[in-house]
Amino acid sequence: MLDFGSYAAASCSGTSRRAFIRTSAAVPAMMSAGLPAMAEIEQARRRAKAKSVILLWLWGGPSHLDMVDPKPDAPDDFRGPFGTIATRTTGMHFTELLPRMAARSDRYTVIRSMQTTNGGHPGAGTVGVTGFEEKPGPVQPNFGAIVAKDRGQQEALPPFFYVGRGIPRDLPRRIEGYGGGTLGKAYDPFLVHCSDRGDVSIPTLKMLPNMSPNRIEDRRTLEKALDVERYRLDSAELERWGQTYQSAYGLLTDEKARVAFDLTRESQKTRSSYGRTTFGQGCLLARRLAQAGVPYVQVNWSEYVETFTPNGDFGWDTHIYNFELLQDRHCPIFDRAYSALLDDLHNSGMLEDTLLVAMGEFGRTPKISTRASREHWQHCYFSLWAGAGVEPGRCIGQSDAKAEYPVTRPVTPLMTGTTMMELCGIGAKERAEMKVLDGGSIIDELF
Amino acid sequence: MNFSSRGTRADYDVPGGNIEITFHAPRAYIKLQLCCMVCCLFATASAFAAEPVQLTQDGSLKRDPRFVDGGRSVVYCYDETPALVRMMKLPLNDKVARPVFEDAADKHHYEPAFSPNGKWISFTACTGNLSGKLVIRNLESGEQADITHKGRGGTRSPAFSPDSQRVIYAFAEKGPQQLWSVKTDGTDKQQLTTCSGVSNWPTFTPDGRTIVFSNSREKNYEIYSVGTDGTGERRLTNNTLMDIRPAVSPDGRQIAFVSTRTGNYDIFLMNIDGSHVRQITTSEERDDYPNWHPNGEQLVIVSEQDGAFDLYLIDATQERNVAGR
Repeated sequence: MLDFGSYAAASCSGTSRRAFIRTSAAVPAMMSAGLPAMAEIEQARRRAKAKSVILLWLWGGPSHLDMVDPKPDAPDDFRGPFGTIATRTTGMHFTELLPRMAARSDRYTVIRSMQTTNGGHPGAGTVGVTGFEEKPGPVQPNFGAIVAKDRGQQEALPPFFYVGRGIPRDLPRRIEGYGGGTLGKAYDPFLVHCSDRGDVSIPTLKMLPNMSPNRIEDRRTLEKALDVERYRLDSAELERWGQTYQSAYGLLTDEKARVAFDLTRESQKTRSSYGRTTFGQGCLLARRLAQAGVPYVQVNWSEYVETFTPNGDFGWDTHIYNFELLQDRHCPIFDRAYSALLDDLHNSGMLEDTLLVAMGEFGRTPKISTRASREHWQHCYFSLWAGAGVEPGRCIGQSDAKAEYPVTRPVTPLMTGTTMMELCGIGAKERAEMKVLDGGSIIDELF
Repeated sequence: MNFSSRGTRADYDVPGGNIEITFHAPRAYIKLQLCCMVCCLFATASAFAAEPVQLTQDGSLKRDPRFVDGGRSVVYCYDETPALVRMMKLPLNDKVARPVFEDAADKHHYEPAFSPNGKWISFTACTGNLSGKLVIRNLESGEQADITHKGRGGTRSPAFSPDSQRVIYAFAEKGPQQLWSVKTDGTDKQQLTTCSGVSNWPTFTPDGRTIVFSNSREKNYEIYSVGTDGTGERRLTNNTLMDIRPAVSPDGRQIAFVSTRTGNYDIFLMNIDGSHVRQITTSEERDDYPNWHPNGEQLVIVSEQDGAFDLYLIDATQERNVAGR
């Protein structure tokens, strides 16, 4: 999209950042029109602010009305039971469930006009982290996979991590857009899990008994364990096993990687600040991974979207108990973990070059259901943005009086991914070469 | 909770043994050492008046503590794994928590309630996707009644009538979440309320004449009381933030509840008519789920300390007056 009309594309001091980003985002279209802007692209790369991206993936679809976009004056059957509180952003209120985040709203920006195309979890999940629908295919790469391909693997640490219990899924199936997509499985995420006590485990190494990052004392110890497993497997399994564990092998024998996984190196105060929950400690792990140079970390709130099902791990899909679960579990955990991560990044100076984004795949129905809960709602939801040059302390976009639809320009997952990539220095030229995020534009209001 | 102790130590002689309690300030970490088995700890519970006593140490996410066995044990629910909420019973003499039901399998169990005659337990069980079912189980025979409604949905917050004959609970069948009542054998299900907003956390006064509950019709949760015949509804709280989980004291004169009016979840007390509101906890972290000890002087709560969730026994006789309702 070229938008020279609304913003000064050039001034006496040169191209403005906002106009510049818009221009570079539109390069694929310009190229086809015979207007290459290589200088601008190169400039974008130099200006890239995000060494790392941390995406807090609120899997299941958190309720925008009951969190950051309350509508206290909406009718009874819309507004929900929660009171509202002021934030540090003028004119912006949250519900009473997010007091810590409200007190820190000057450090991040809220988008209240998100909109997506899909109302089902796996489909919307794929759109949310790739920018595109799963069908007709091929499945596009996760934003993290694009960063992984651009940055490549630095030392032992893989460039794209999932922190969580597994690949996001609902009961029937996992999302298709979890990994490399058209870029190939080489860019799939590397999955690590962090318990509420801060113990880090690597699910791909579950075959190795009693094996965890903290137990790997030296290369010899690991090799001994691995040899036992090799002996146990037949040849076909061995080949697959070799591919699967190659990266884990390198990971666990690398001192820098092991240090990144070791949350005991943090003070008790820091660990406590995130909350002794799997999500809280997972956020701390994400910060350590970013600190160690990992360019993209996606922290998954849960593996399953389902909020109340046997063996479910309490996703945000609150078809029942929406108000009770938000109040009892989800919001207190999220409020604490997000605020701690924000403080941590800010206090360490990492927020300058770390992009922190939090969002789910959609919102929830503004109209309260007959079960006193909320269903899926793809027409309006929220995301939170901080760091890496995002101008903080603002509320972007506006929903209507019942939070049903945006009344300002809708912001899409494709725009989310494009903006992330731009901040990572993956400009239009690189995206075009990788054939990813075609047609994406920047959320220029963020800058 | 706000632990204001500056480092004290006390020894108490109680029937059955000697208890040493050490309070470490300013981190407010409380270490409780049982020097030997204590059989009747809470027969002298008032001896602990001023200082909170930490009952669990594991720090995992907890909820819904309930005194049972005349105050000698606490039943509570906790995250055994990220995918299982299990109901446990903690005898206060040996402090070894054990599952209440060995047959829970992978089902989340929530919000236990125990009948005053000790015969019944009621709770919400997750029996399938998006299905929270009210269970009323005979503790002696193991027989149970499963209370179901049309379609998917979840029951909430069961409470027994003082005569142990009925269970009241919250459920949304066709719209706003209402209060319901059912006999312990699962028959005679009745909808008690038809109000707007979300109704939840019903509980009886000890005389059985009044139900106290929360409702959100005034844009946020407030606490109300109403006669069991549906008459005489009275609003007991009045502020712009939530007042939830009312728990009537054993003598029927006070209500403990949770409010966010101070900026996070704290425990408050008020008289049964809504007057004389007092703040009991003042921590910047979360204090929630109050339940009365039978002695009427203490509460067991879930308190978040340094990000960890544990059960604490707190004094309900000390108070800080709070203006307004």
